Amino acid sequence: MATHRTTDQMASDPAPREQTNGAAVAAFLAAGIGSLAMGLFVVLNEWDIYSAPSLYGPAGGVSGRTTFAVIAWLIAWAVLHARMKGRQFESRRLFAIALVLVGLGILLTYPPLWGLL
Amino acid sequence: MLFTERSIWTMIHGIGLGGTALMALAAVLFAMYLMRRSYLRATEGEDVSGPVAALMWLTAAALWLTALVGTYIIFPPYRAAAPEGTTLLAQYPRTMLLADPETAWLHTFAMETKEHLPWIAAMLATAVAFAAWRYRSEFFRDPRIYRMAATLTVICLAAVAYVSLLGVFINKVAPLE
Repeated sequence: MATHRTTDQMASDPAPREQTNGAAVAAFLAAGIGSLAMGLFVVLNEWDIYSAPSLYGPAGGVSGRTTFAVIAWLIAWAVLHARMKGRQFESRRLFAIALVLVGLGILLTYPPLWGLL
Repeated sequence: MLFTERSIWTMIHGIGLGGTALMALAAVLFAMYLMRRSYLRATEGEDVSGPVAALMWLTAAALWLTALVGTYIIFPPYRAAAPEGTTLLAQYPRTMLLADPETAWLHTFAMETKEHLPWIAAMLATAVAFAAWRYRSEFFRDPRIYRMAATLTVICLAAVAYVSLLGVFINKVAPLE
């Protein structure tokens, strides 16, 4: 005997589950890349190798460094998401890489490190 | 006037937005722990992962706003250079901090850290919010996604608590008035 479901019942169904981990891997990797980008812009500025231009004068160079890092993060996420969504990955290694990138990025924003390296 | 505009913005930044983010991060971590246990025991049932995803999006939004207000509203008056010959430096917090060797670290270490670390925290929170929203109940069932998300949330909470503490120190010695 067929069971008929109303449109209200169908509308309340939970969202379809993502079956592959590619989108999550891409998001976490991109966060790692963004973190590293932030750290790199900071140390490159401190070592007078490259200073991101100040995009808002009263805030100074931090406006450029942070904006460029955010742009790098968004670009990395867009590219990785496009390439990895809908696919399944061996995530342990990729998540470890993401954590290393996050750790490096955070470390590079640590002021005492700038004078040591 | 009881509070200056600059001090009101400081309170919005630190207590309103930063405080919201801190509390929300703690709530998300607790919810993730409880819901992981719940999903591991249940086989089918109502999907309640949506509220956690919504809370994580709120957290990410609070962090982005905190960073934006801090960088573009609070930081400019903080770093404004004192005119030549100024002796009363209270209106120029950065200059005041750097003028005394005992307080210089509050700028060279504390504020320099606060300039960049919150942006990393915002990126991490956004990644976790996206994963929670996209994967719904699978976010709690897939052990690797869950562990990675939990790890990033813990890192985010630690970073935000750390910069919040640094902000309290700076505001105690050189408040933006």
